[in-house]
Amino acid sequence: MDWIQFVLAPQVINGLAIGVAVVLMALGLTIIFGLLDVINMAHGEFYALGAFLAVVLIGLGLSFWLALLLTPLLLAAVGYLTERTLIQRVFHSKDRHTLTLLLTFGLGVLLEDLLKIVFGANPLRLETPIAGATELLGLFFPNYRLFVMLFGGAVIAAVWLLVFRTPLGAMVRAAAFDRHMTASLGVPVHQVYAATFAFGVALAALAGVLLAPMYSVFPTMGRDFVFIAFSVVIIGGMGSIKGAVLAGLLLTQVQSVSSLWISPVWSDPLLFGIMVLVLVWRPQGLFGRLGHA
Amino acid sequence: MLETTLHPQGRALPAAPNRGRRADALRWIAGAFFLAALAFGIVAWAVGDVFFLRLATEALIYGGLALSVDLLLGRTGLLPLGQALFFGLGAYVSALVLKHWAASFWLALAVAMAASALAGLMGGLIAIRSKGVYFALISFGLAQVVSKVVYNTRELGASDGLIGVPAAQLGAGLSTALPLGFFLVVLALIFATWALLSWLMDTPFGRQLAAVRGNEQRLAFIGVDPWRVKLAVFVLAATIAGASGALYPMLRGFVSPELMFFQVSGNAVINVIVGGTGTLIGPLLGSSLLTGLRSVVGSWTEHHHIAIGLLFVIVVILAPRGLVGGLAPRLQAWLDRRRDQELS
Repeated sequence: MDWIQFVLAPQVINGLAIGVAVVLMALGLTIIFGLLDVINMAHGEFYALGAFLAVVLIGLGLSFWLALLLTPLLLAAVGYLTERTLIQRVFHSKDRHTLTLLLTFGLGVLLEDLLKIVFGANPLRLETPIAGATELLGLFFPNYRLFVMLFGGAVIAAVWLLVFRTPLGAMVRAAAFDRHMTASLGVPVHQVYAATFAFGVALAALAGVLLAPMYSVFPTMGRDFVFIAFSVVIIGGMGSIKGAVLAGLLLTQVQSVSSLWISPVWSDPLLFGIMVLVLVWRPQGLFGRLGHA
Repeated sequence: MLETTLHPQGRALPAAPNRGRRADALRWIAGAFFLAALAFGIVAWAVGDVFFLRLATEALIYGGLALSVDLLLGRTGLLPLGQALFFGLGAYVSALVLKHWAASFWLALAVAMAASALAGLMGGLIAIRSKGVYFALISFGLAQVVSKVVYNTRELGASDGLIGVPAAQLGAGLSTALPLGFFLVVLALIFATWALLSWLMDTPFGRQLAAVRGNEQRLAFIGVDPWRVKLAVFVLAATIAGASGALYPMLRGFVSPELMFFQVSGNAVINVIVGGTGTLIGPLLGSSLLTGLRSVVGSWTEHHHIAIGLLFVIVVILAPRGLVGGLAPRLQAWLDRRRDQELS
């Protein structure tokens, strides 16, 4: 019993807090892919950009809560501009899978170096906005992690509502299914594309801000994190929202609980092994694509 | 999934060049490249330079890696985002052979090639199952996983890598420690690889690669198993990348896990795209120019990635055919005009 209480439970809680952030990242990736067919290789850099922006805003004297609100909005603007000025240009080419992947990859290289120039390579720290811990059922939970879980969970639910229960989400799903038909129905498809990309980027930034007080903030912080998010999206099915949520929560639990027995070095190979096994069983991932199911 | 027919106006990556028309121009460019490299080596040696000779050798080594990426991306339509895995593997195997077995160039090269071919077979069995962007991400993941394990394995020097790799002996008194000698050896090897691949593209196997790129299903209809073709080209590309990697410790005297990192895979893709996808000579040109650029900009500021990244984004948007892909048709038109004049 002691083992469950003092060893297993903290890992599960830790995994859930990270899991929620991973799901936010994966949701951004999967929505962008589901609608635009774009693999956003710069997603990890947008995540880092979000964390740094929060550090800057808080450094300017804003409260953490205001930064949590403002950062995704600002990054959404960056995402919108990125889509309109860069991705739109190669979008209609035959090889848009490859070209957009390369383009966002170049953008990632650029952004990462930009962050290094502006902030230096040394890690920065953000103070925990909610200190202390709460006792629940005889267990102690750090308050901020509880907040991340609840807030992140609420955002995930809101994204689901937005995509599946609003006219706006219907437009996105319709455009993912058949963009020409959707355009003929009077939906401004190009703006839907740009807004969806912006939305995905904002989710990455939100994950960045949420995790900033738990980890240090440094320019290459997105690299390892985006690898997990990519694994989640591949396992859950590219373009699937349900898949991103389920695979995200499951995988981070596997990672966090397995770290009790195996060295963290082997958690990436474990993740990758699971991914390969799932692909052998179902090459298209667990669930179907946005607008197709 | 991809409604290509709906966008007839779209610009595409260059198709595998029509060899009847453009082969001449590509061969001219390749000839000019190898002659210029030879001349560069001799001039650098004559003025007593070592730094640039070493840098040019490194550019050619990365050129070999870029060739292997072009074989997959330009010819077969598979985008490898983890090709550095095989490059780094070749480098580690070569360093281990040189340090602990014998300081023989040929032995190190042969063992590194065998090891990377085997790794290519295993990696291929995993990665080839997936298509398109899945392939890109799986190859990315493979390299990520292996590089992390190497980074944390104490027996392989962990984050420090292996240092103090002795120079390799080629026989006849030639050692990789001689700047010009080693440059010429690497140039000869890269030329041989380029020549082999150029020849291979005109064989039925080369046509099958182009067919995989064009339409995999129809290839199956005419009785060729696309899976086998893709696995074969993946192993070939891994072997070329491993052979290039094997040369690295001979040049620099050390290997580090960074050789397997995404940076190296990414740079190889950038070299290919900037040089000209599918042209074979373009990746070599791209590697040479960009390795030079990285070194020049790198001597000013350590933030040279931003310059390379910017250049790359511009090339992808404005000139997806790359340098050679843009140059070759123009040169070909000029060559055709001249030939017509001679005939008339």
